[in-house]
Amino acid sequence: MDSSQLPRRIIKETQRLLSEPVPGISAAPSEDNLRYFNVIILGPDSSPYQGGVFKLELFLPEDYPMAAPKVRFLTKIYHPNVDKLGRICLDILKDKWSPALQIRTVLLSIQALMSAPNPDDPLDENIARQWKTNEVEAMNTARQWTELYAHQA
Amino acid sequence: MSDYGDSDYDMGGSDAYSSGGDDFSYSGDEAEASSPVAKGAKKSFVVLDKEELRERLGAGVSQVVELLCISDAEATRALRFYKWDLTKLQEEWFADPEAVQVKVGLVDEQPSTRRKEEVCKICFESFSVQDMACARCKHYYCKDCWRGYIHTSIESGPFCLDLRCPDPECKAAVPRRVITAVVDAAHQERYDDFAINSFVDDQRQIVWCPAPDCQNAVMSMHDQLGVAQDIFCRCGNAFCFNCKEEAHRPVDCDTVRKWMIKNSAESENLNWILANTKPCPKCTRPIEKNQGCMHMTCSQCRHEFCWLCEGSWAEHGERTGGFYNCNRYKRAVDKGEVDEQEQRRQHARQSLERYMHYWQRWAENDTSRKRALRQMEAFKSETQELISEYTATPVSQLRFITDAWMQVVHCRRILKWTYATAFYAFADPVNATKEAKARLAQHQEFFEFNQGQAEHYLEKLHGQVEKQLNTFVRPPPSPPEGEAAAAGSEAAGPSGRDQQGWAKFREQLIGLTDVTRIHFEKLVNEFEKGLDEALKEYDVPMAQASTSAAAATAAAAAAEEAAAAKAKAAGKAPADSRRITRASKRRQGPVDQEQAAIEHEAGYWQCSHCTYANEAMDSQECELCSQPRGATR
Repeated sequence: MDSSQLPRRIIKETQRLLSEPVPGISAAPSEDNLRYFNVIILGPDSSPYQGGVFKLELFLPEDYPMAAPKVRFLTKIYHPNVDKLGRICLDILKDKWSPALQIRTVLLSIQALMSAPNPDDPLDENIARQWKTNEVEAMNTARQWTELYAHQA
Repeated sequence: MSDYGDSDYDMGGSDAYSSGGDDFSYSGDEAEASSPVAKGAKKSFVVLDKEELRERLGAGVSQVVELLCISDAEATRALRFYKWDLTKLQEEWFADPEAVQVKVGLVDEQPSTRRKEEVCKICFESFSVQDMACARCKHYYCKDCWRGYIHTSIESGPFCLDLRCPDPECKAAVPRRVITAVVDAAHQERYDDFAINSFVDDQRQIVWCPAPDCQNAVMSMHDQLGVAQDIFCRCGNAFCFNCKEEAHRPVDCDTVRKWMIKNSAESENLNWILANTKPCPKCTRPIEKNQGCMHMTCSQCRHEFCWLCEGSWAEHGERTGGFYNCNRYKRAVDKGEVDEQEQRRQHARQSLERYMHYWQRWAENDTSRKRALRQMEAFKSETQELISEYTATPVSQLRFITDAWMQVVHCRRILKWTYATAFYAFADPVNATKEAKARLAQHQEFFEFNQGQAEHYLEKLHGQVEKQLNTFVRPPPSPPEGEAAAAGSEAAGPSGRDQQGWAKFREQLIGLTDVTRIHFEKLVNEFEKGLDEALKEYDVPMAQASTSAAAATAAAAAAEEAAAAKAKAAGKAPADSRRITRASKRRQGPVDQEQAAIEHEAGYWQCSHCTYANEAMDSQECELCSQPRGATR
């Protein structure tokens, strides 16, 4: 894809993501589509996802930054705000999106969501119920899933 | 059976309720004559079109801008937050300004940048500060990014009215000047529409007219919201402010809702079932007999029975008359025997019949009202011109005919609803005391008397404007129907005769319109006041109401006092419409004598103002409207 057609904002954001990466997060544009990013978030410390390597995809739609980027977990994750397809329930990806937010802020928010799940606003009913009724058990399952799915071969 | 969406209501933008009056008000001068039940002279609502809404909204915002020294965007937001209640906003603002400021996104004014250029935080480009815009927070963005941001927000719905600075941490309201500076016309219109919608939707005293395609709103000045209030929109739609159903005074909104539900569930089916079926004697499922003999077999429970006597078919055969007859049935009918089961079924049927009775009258009046609406439109678009020409009357002076039509339409609607209300109000009370039953019977008698009176005049008015009017839709030489006899004894030429007939028609119609309105006003007011109260005014001793017969007497007595001898007039009604009446003060000499002879023969004289049949032959004043005998308008 010809990078000259990309809005300057996207080019600048990409450059900055590559030159000053956020700790624990990497985001690199795909070679054939500069609006498509391969993202890796490391499971935050002192969370059941610690030690896990989580792959995500991020896509900047045509009307970005007026519209929010589309983000999805590719790695299976046991989390009340992430559904089976990896879709994420996060306000800034929906109605709280503002064009003054960036890819960087979005990924930071996702990282924070992994540290602090919000079972009161769930995307997956069952996981959320488990999280609320038996948190210890839920954390264990999350750890097991991290072990199973989020460890690099 | 809701009327919305009914083409009758869409009267092609014609101003049915106030010809010429720009700002229609319920009891404004223009509308007064057309109001079916002008209750008091108080202006109780006002219709507002989009432009007027915009003006009012603008005025409200300006007021806040001036009062609180804040920007228009902040004022709009503040008003929206307090549901456009200026008093509440003011109170809270002066009680705790900071709290209100936080709520409405009023941040402290930040110092402007000292740099000549700033980087837009959205597109990351540098711009000269002159080409950028910001709210009080002084977060600068370029115009293109503002446009994108505001357009996206407007496209996503009414929350664009609460637009904040794009900075996720900032709560500053986006000033109106920024919005108007960057958005295109289409988005601006959408934004303004959202503001107007909020202005109407968030305020309890303003509602949209529910007619399809009507963009007017109505503001009620009624002291009491939450109760039925009839509204007459400029589009021709008549609706209830409270429940948005068709206007339905004197019935309350709850009864209307119940009635509509009952109708939608039952009306058509019931009508057909009653007319065409009998219930299976065993399983009571309705059965339609569309052909064949009297030997019926229920398709549901396989019960075999005789269609005529509804007895088991096992008891039938040759000896009871064969397949096409039933001796048992004949015998029972002859003897007047009705078995217990039949009585039960009859009871069930009676309650259905009772409903049907009210429903049919309700529906008939509805149909009649719709037809009247159509006829009125036809009159306005076609007949009016012709009549104007044939009678040499300017169109502007034919207003009385439209008024009469309007009165018919309004009264049909009121009458229709009185049937719905009667269905509930006078249902057989379960476990009621004897007195309570008697009182109810008395109420019913009284209500039905008033209803009958009102209906009688309405029928007369309707007939007059429907049939009599047509006699003038032809060239002058042929005199109006029914006037021929009168014309024959007069010396005036054909055109003069016709003119006189026309003048009389006009004066009678105006009188009838008036009288009809008065009767309906009374019907509505007394019902709304409560029948007990209404009866008290006529001072009917309750003791008389101990039996049903006495109740009837009491009601009749009450009615007597209420409407004097109107009951008798009602009795004479059919005669009225057939006979030719010739009261006119302009007539003299032999005509007067002839007139007197006719009146003597008829046993009454007809008031030429209100058409009331006066039986006091010596009286020189109409008993009903108190106009002098022979007076015209």
